[in-house]
Amino acid sequence: MKTKKSMLVAAWLLIIPVLAIRAFTTVYPILATIRNSFFDIRLLQGKNVFCGFENYIKAFKDPKVLTSIQFTVIFVVVSMLFHIILGVILALILNMKFKGQRFLRTIILIPWAMPAVVIGMAGKWAFNNDYGLVNDLIRRFINPNFNYSWLIYKDSARFAVIAMDLWKDLPFFAILVLSGLQFISHDIYEAARVDGASGLQCFTRITLPLITKNVATLTIPFTLWRLTSFDLVYSMTSGGPGEDTALIAYRITMEAFTNLNTGYAAALAVMLFIVMLVFTGINMKIQSKMSD
Amino acid sequence: MSNGNMKYKVYHVFQHIFKWLLAAVVALIVLIPVYWIFISSITPSGELFKSPIDYLPDHPTLDSYEFLIQNVGLLDKIKNTVIIIGFTLVISTVICVLGAYAFCRFKNNKAISLAFGFIIATMLIPEVVTARPLYEFMQKVKLYDTYPGLIILYISSVIPFSVLILRNFVSEIPESLEEAAAIDGANFTQRLFYVVIPLMKPAIATVCIINFINCLNNFFTPLYYSNGIQVLSVAIVQLPLRDNMYGVPWDLTSAMGWIILLPIIVFVAIFEKQIMDGIMAGGVKE
Repeated sequence: MKTKKSMLVAAWLLIIPVLAIRAFTTVYPILATIRNSFFDIRLLQGKNVFCGFENYIKAFKDPKVLTSIQFTVIFVVVSMLFHIILGVILALILNMKFKGQRFLRTIILIPWAMPAVVIGMAGKWAFNNDYGLVNDLIRRFINPNFNYSWLIYKDSARFAVIAMDLWKDLPFFAILVLSGLQFISHDIYEAARVDGASGLQCFTRITLPLITKNVATLTIPFTLWRLTSFDLVYSMTSGGPGEDTALIAYRITMEAFTNLNTGYAAALAVMLFIVMLVFTGINMKIQSKMSD
Repeated sequence: MSNGNMKYKVYHVFQHIFKWLLAAVVALIVLIPVYWIFISSITPSGELFKSPIDYLPDHPTLDSYEFLIQNVGLLDKIKNTVIIIGFTLVISTVICVLGAYAFCRFKNNKAISLAFGFIIATMLIPEVVTARPLYEFMQKVKLYDTYPGLIILYISSVIPFSVLILRNFVSEIPESLEEAAAIDGANFTQRLFYVVIPLMKPAIATVCIINFINCLNNFFTPLYYSNGIQVLSVAIVQLPLRDNMYGVPWDLTSAMGWIILLPIIVFVAIFEKQIMDGIMAGGVKE
């Protein structure tokens, strides 16, 4: 009995370092953010007074925030749509049996391993009208007289941001889809073949259901990462033109660190967090349904 | 029969060509931008501002790198990055291995499994939500803009992933091995260090490799919790404009980008298998 107790003490000693560091960086800051969201804190004016739900109400009348929410929704939906379509295609390509497989899998890890800021900075220059890579390739192969400043106009700037997001993140998504495919034993295909299934039937009856299941589990985490995406927009467009590419995480950070409206930023952060909790709840429902 | 054989062969050849074509398209989409960053970094800054792009620069130069070393303090930023990531990897690996072991072997204890659930749940908390209060707190306790402060935050960012992966790995090590060692008279510490940890080497390697890349990618933490201590990922967005009038210092940016990219490419080429395993095992990055 005594040894059991001392074992438990030992276990806690091993756990405390990770637990303490994690708690230190999350528990107090989260509570402080929730508290701040009910206060009108403007550091520039030395203001710090209770204001109830005022910050929350203000958010829905703030055109900057509304633009941010609008683009965040577009960004998440469009990016995820392409993640699913192109990600599955890329996973199938990575799963092809051929001599270049290992090389291709290595190459594909480069965008995943690159910092988003490097991609953002490169993207800023790549979409430049005169000297950028994108227009240069278009002029070489499609239309020699092509001229377009991508990042100056709302829709094309948004397109460019989403394109760079996909360039970085598709490989990651594809590898995770692939991880499911690899566990399909070869015997299953063999058995299906013996039973007279065609190649197409094998794909639709064996491969596709597995992919669908994988994609379903991946969609929510990837959506959550898009909701908090910050680095790319910070480095590529600084939210511009105007506020048109200011994702909500970027907006919150600007309010907190540039405009120093701590209370308002906290209210926006709390709302973002609530949205994420809802998505997580949905995710857990899906997961438990699928494991049934 | 021979006709059918012929058909089969033609089909096979086409299938092969098709595969290589698809692979080539994917490889080009990844490699062209990477190559373009590289050639931009060795093109004299004046020649960058012309169209069309010279994909084989006529006058390759290391001028931009020289400028980064002499005027931007590149070596200093590399030193900062190495110090922070080095300490983060060593400390986080030690505490996460120990924590993961305890989380796994004592998972029947309610409080301990609750603690584990807490660590995994905190994965969900985005940096932007905690940023401002944490920033003020770090200033109050004098950890803002210090190596220890940054290292603590970096460690915190890698804990959930590391603990999760390592715990799953420990659960695959049969407890009977430890019991056998216990019968031979090994105590708790001895069993941990001489039986369990040696078996965990491959998992530890995978976790370290993935964490190295995640730390190199970390941008928000060094951007907002430090000022004087600049790491590479922050330095690239704060480069000075050299003599060109154009809004982006692309000459220096591409050189700095390549400094970050080169170790990543080498790393990925060496550890492709471990990285794949790590990604697939965790399915989680941040």
